[in-house]
Amino acid sequence: MQQKVLILGVGNYLMGDEGVGVHLARLLSTELNDELIDVVDGGTGGFQLMDLFESYPTVILADATLDHHAPGTIRLIQPKFSADFPNAMSTHEIGLKDVIESLILLDKLPQIYLFVVSINKVQPLSIELSPEINMSLTELKHKMVGLAKSLVRTQQDVSYP
Amino acid sequence: MSQRIVIDPITRIEGHLRIEAEIKNGKVAEAYSAGTMVRLLEEILKGRDPRDAWAYVGRVCGVCTTVHSLASVRSVEDALDIVIPPNAEMVRNIMFAVQNMQDHVIHFYHLHALDWVDVVSALKADAKKTSEIAQSISNWPKSSPGYFSDLQKRLTKFVESGQLGIFANGYWGHPAYKLPAEVNLLAVAHYLEALEWQKEIAKVHTIFGGKNPHPNYLVGGMACAISIDDASGINAERLAYVHGLLKDAKTFVEQVYIPDLIAIASFYKDWGAIGGGLGNYLAYGDLPTNGYRDVSSYKFPAGAILNKEVTKILDVDMRNDSEIQEFISHSWYEYAGGDDAGLHPWKGETKINYTGPKPPYDFLNVEEKYSFLKTPRWKGNAMEVGPLARVLVGYGRGREDYKDVVDSTLKALDVPITALFSTLGRTAARGLEAKLMTNWALEFYDTLIANIKNGDTRMANMEKFKPESWPEKAQGVGHTEAPRGALGHWIVIEDQKIANYQLVVPSTWNASPRDKDGNPSAYESALKDTPIADEHKPVEILRTIHSFDPCLACAVHLYDEEGKHVSKVSVM
Repeated sequence: MQQKVLILGVGNYLMGDEGVGVHLARLLSTELNDELIDVVDGGTGGFQLMDLFESYPTVILADATLDHHAPGTIRLIQPKFSADFPNAMSTHEIGLKDVIESLILLDKLPQIYLFVVSINKVQPLSIELSPEINMSLTELKHKMVGLAKSLVRTQQDVSYP
Repeated sequence: MSQRIVIDPITRIEGHLRIEAEIKNGKVAEAYSAGTMVRLLEEILKGRDPRDAWAYVGRVCGVCTTVHSLASVRSVEDALDIVIPPNAEMVRNIMFAVQNMQDHVIHFYHLHALDWVDVVSALKADAKKTSEIAQSISNWPKSSPGYFSDLQKRLTKFVESGQLGIFANGYWGHPAYKLPAEVNLLAVAHYLEALEWQKEIAKVHTIFGGKNPHPNYLVGGMACAISIDDASGINAERLAYVHGLLKDAKTFVEQVYIPDLIAIASFYKDWGAIGGGLGNYLAYGDLPTNGYRDVSSYKFPAGAILNKEVTKILDVDMRNDSEIQEFISHSWYEYAGGDDAGLHPWKGETKINYTGPKPPYDFLNVEEKYSFLKTPRWKGNAMEVGPLARVLVGYGRGREDYKDVVDSTLKALDVPITALFSTLGRTAARGLEAKLMTNWALEFYDTLIANIKNGDTRMANMEKFKPESWPEKAQGVGHTEAPRGALGHWIVIEDQKIANYQLVVPSTWNASPRDKDGNPSAYESALKDTPIADEHKPVEILRTIHSFDPCLACAVHLYDEEGKHVSKVSVM
């Protein structure tokens, strides 16, 4: 059976650019119509996300990061350990890193592709994205959907030689 | 000579909390608790449609998303006099119960246990002996010697890889760890099993709430439709699935969590006399079985206790503006009427005025303002909220179900009732509450099913959903009991929009700074006199702070910009 790919956007929707992953998930859940790609808004979920990670062999994540790149820079990383996740990815001490560690402990870590969007700083509460990050949303969307579709195709090739 | 310890942030909690403690003669002389990131959620809600507020507040945090949404819809229903149908009440109660027990189990095994359990010591355990211990305390089937020795091999691999934070960031080998290696191994095994279990039980939220995280709520009821025969909705098959998960939860709590709690606690009875603190307890109550306004129908009774007088439960009125008030004498806010005022949340103000030091800094000036948390008081008293407060109020109200679990546990541990007023008491109360909760969840389920079979399928009361039907001005209070304590949302609605919205969250009660008279709040009080064996590894402070299950995300709206951890000791 063809296995689906999950696109999971995470972040805090109430904290401006920190919520870019959630904005992406909301956008894709209305625009993307592909029966082999599921889109989920993971919000600020921590342990609640474990079941999702276990249910897909491949998960493509989107989240914001505070680093020294220009705001709106999009990078793709393939983390193997929780330590590979960039700093300050979420507002949570109990967050994705703990979920990843737990999945490793249970030997259930899927293949993860993580798109990080560099943001400038966390704005005090706002549900709007800044202009730079809003502009990068289209590029992020194309990159993530492109990757998801190529992964689905690869799986298909394997399944039906 | 005294020393000052700073731990910033406290790890294995949700949110950003800083503790400064003065150590004299090997004990904490004074402690200061500070939320150093800002909170502005109230401001984002002003001017919005009150019916949407639940969706915003549910986003504040990944842990308590459901309880914030619940308090929010209740505040609007209270303001507009909306009575929800019995089915919606039961669905809310089931979701509440699930979140409570999931949170308690995660807290015990994944956030708190490592203060008591030395993970690295588990590698040296005799797996056969662990198996004997496991079989002597519980009927839980995963208890063979082979099970524990296989686990030990996996653990060794993880520890050697050095890649996993849980094994890297601990005070392993600290003399305050008292468990035999075999019990440590048992606890680590259940750490992993609890991860699997919590993932399953969370599915109840997906079923009733439509999605998880951040399940759907609705002003007037719930957004789910239950119909026994409908193929696509919540039908008999889905309900049976929920029933199965609730029964599994009862088994897990009774056969794993409670036996582990008793086994671990028996090695730490001295902590039954440490970390008590205020001795004042507050619970708003929750789990109505005959409507939100019938407080006598609550499974979680409401009430307050002063000076440990458990036999004298006082009534609490959340609407009376002289009972619950928030002060900002030591908080980075300003009030229009002066900073010494105490404001009831319906009249609450949230205007930031940061006067603290510019980061990076060594210490906060605790004589002045030093936290972004406000300081709530009940009739002027500092109060502790949380599972211990609820268990004591239930016990003091003379409820048989509470008496049974409390008395049997005290007997099993051979400790007096005064041992409850402590760090150990707080941790034990959480487990006892989970045990009560598993039984109640099954009762709620049975009530729901009986109701539906009797032909009542109503899930929402939409009579007053349209804003045209609302009065020009209305105010309400939505309260609940979050896993970590009493939670209240106070709303003022004017011209169909939110005019004011104030949250007083559990960690604001517990983690707040001193009040205008210099009286400490719960954390600061509980840390006093805590013995510290090694000021460079203050695991004792973590034990007491973690026993409260801190969650600062909603209290302060944190952000740790650089992900830095400060833990330092300075000689004063």
